Amino acid sequence: MTDSSLLRVRWIAGNTFVEALRQRFFAFLFLLAAGLAASGMLLRTFNFGQSELKFIADFGFGAMFLFGSILAIVMTVQLFFSELDNRTALTLLAKPVRRWEFVLGKFLGIWTLLGVFIALLGVVLAVMLSIRMPELVESASRNGEPLPFLNLKGLGMFCLLQWFRLGVVAALSLMICSFAQTFLYAVIVSAMGILLCQVQSAGVSAFSKPDQETWVRTLANGVGKVIPDLQLFDLGVPLVLSPAGAPQSAVLSALGYGALYMPVLLFITVFLFSDREI
Amino acid sequence: MNSEYAIEIKGLTKDFRTGLRGVKLRAVEDLTLNIPRNTIYGLLGPNGSGKSTTLKILLGLIPATTGTCLIFGNPAGTAKARSHVGFLPEAPYFYRHLSGRELVRFYARVAGVSRNQLDKQVEEALALVNMTEAAARRVGTYSKGMLQRIGLAQAIVHDPQLVILDEPTAGVDPLGAAAIGEILLAMKKRGKTVILCSHLLGQVEELCDRVAILNKGKLILEGAVEEALARREQQVLTVEKLSDETRLAVTSALESNGAKLVEIAHPRISLEKLFVERLAISSSEKKDEVSNDR
Repeated sequence: MTDSSLLRVRWIAGNTFVEALRQRFFAFLFLLAAGLAASGMLLRTFNFGQSELKFIADFGFGAMFLFGSILAIVMTVQLFFSELDNRTALTLLAKPVRRWEFVLGKFLGIWTLLGVFIALLGVVLAVMLSIRMPELVESASRNGEPLPFLNLKGLGMFCLLQWFRLGVVAALSLMICSFAQTFLYAVIVSAMGILLCQVQSAGVSAFSKPDQETWVRTLANGVGKVIPDLQLFDLGVPLVLSPAGAPQSAVLSALGYGALYMPVLLFITVFLFSDREI
Repeated sequence: MNSEYAIEIKGLTKDFRTGLRGVKLRAVEDLTLNIPRNTIYGLLGPNGSGKSTTLKILLGLIPATTGTCLIFGNPAGTAKARSHVGFLPEAPYFYRHLSGRELVRFYARVAGVSRNQLDKQVEEALALVNMTEAAARRVGTYSKGMLQRIGLAQAIVHDPQLVILDEPTAGVDPLGAAAIGEILLAMKKRGKTVILCSHLLGQVEELCDRVAILNKGKLILEGAVEEALARREQQVLTVEKLSDETRLAVTSALESNGAKLVEIAHPRISLEKLFVERLAISSSEKKDEVSNDR
């Protein structure tokens, strides 16, 4: 007999990943996201004056976040909450599995799935951008315009950032699942939470202006520290399309931000889940 | 593991809060119970009597309001206590995306079965519940009886000292139920302790050494099955070839000695036993027919 928490977390994560992969929802959402990313190529004539490369890239970045968030929320609720609802957790938690091992295993399985999703979508986007690049370079040099720039390594870094961003989304959903009583509640509250995280920086900056009252500014700053700011991860354009690239400090702070928020949210999840009646 | 009892429950009470006003519902009340090692122990009671709640508290799935529970001397609910336990819940629901073999392997791994023992223990558990042939099929395609059997396999795959089974024969045909009964007896022979929750009282009577009966969360009876069922003031004589004259002679002899004949009846076997016997005979006749045809 082996008594290793790490091994148990690994088996639970592996099972969660396989379960998610075998569901049609993952394939369906990936095809939808890839379709949306590819539609950037078809709709590039409607680029509203933007550079064509940026137009295609924006479609891909949008597909990554939109469908990635849907996948993160639905899969987390499906794989964590439904396990409690369907009572499969009864047999698993009756084994020598601690609650934190269960939570961490579930999260790692879902996060791995999100990594696969982002990586596949990144490949689709890289292929599309690479296909268009030679023609755009030729056209720009013919017209004497500045040459377009594409950094595929930067795209890889952007994918890593999105993986961390979706990790925060999944951890937040997991936290909501730990006290949710119905599937629908978990999905809706998670979606609202993500929306809040997405707009928090705009809200904080609006309410922390010098003309606001002191308590409003204090409250806004406090809320800004508690609610994760998902817009910090929006470094796609500088990373992929700008020769100057994104500031290293911005990339590192976004990665560090994700690396800090995920364990904090997981810790709260374990705390809430530890006394939940199964 | 040096405790005299497999399970020691002392003063266990569990209250649930229900509704918006948090009305208290007492599921288990001041339950004290010691379950000896190496027994098959029946936990009986009508629906809502607190059996499943007690089991869930033992497994750490829900916390107790008051009281203590020990499994082989370890506080119930800890991973250490659960490492000695196998559990089959009532109406089990398993991962539908896995095959039966993958499912049992998964549970064996999380229960800590080492890599070099894994294949052997998984195949042994599958063979024991007669699921080897169907082990490659997805769990989502299994019948209710097959789910119970694969559930039993996952409960015993890590060779636990204590096996807790909540309605293990629900949805299983009498042959399958008899097979499960035999597995439980074999486990007892190997020194294991089995706790059996069942509404099939005939099976409990046949298998269990001791029983506890709960009603509305309270213990109303606990003891050895033989002791509990025996009517000490009466005795049964089973006689062959009893003629009318002999019967009259026996009756008058009894009366002259101050005893009273209460009933004369033919001994009966249970319907379950009859079913199993007849099916066994029918199967062997079919086999003979096939071999004669060849």
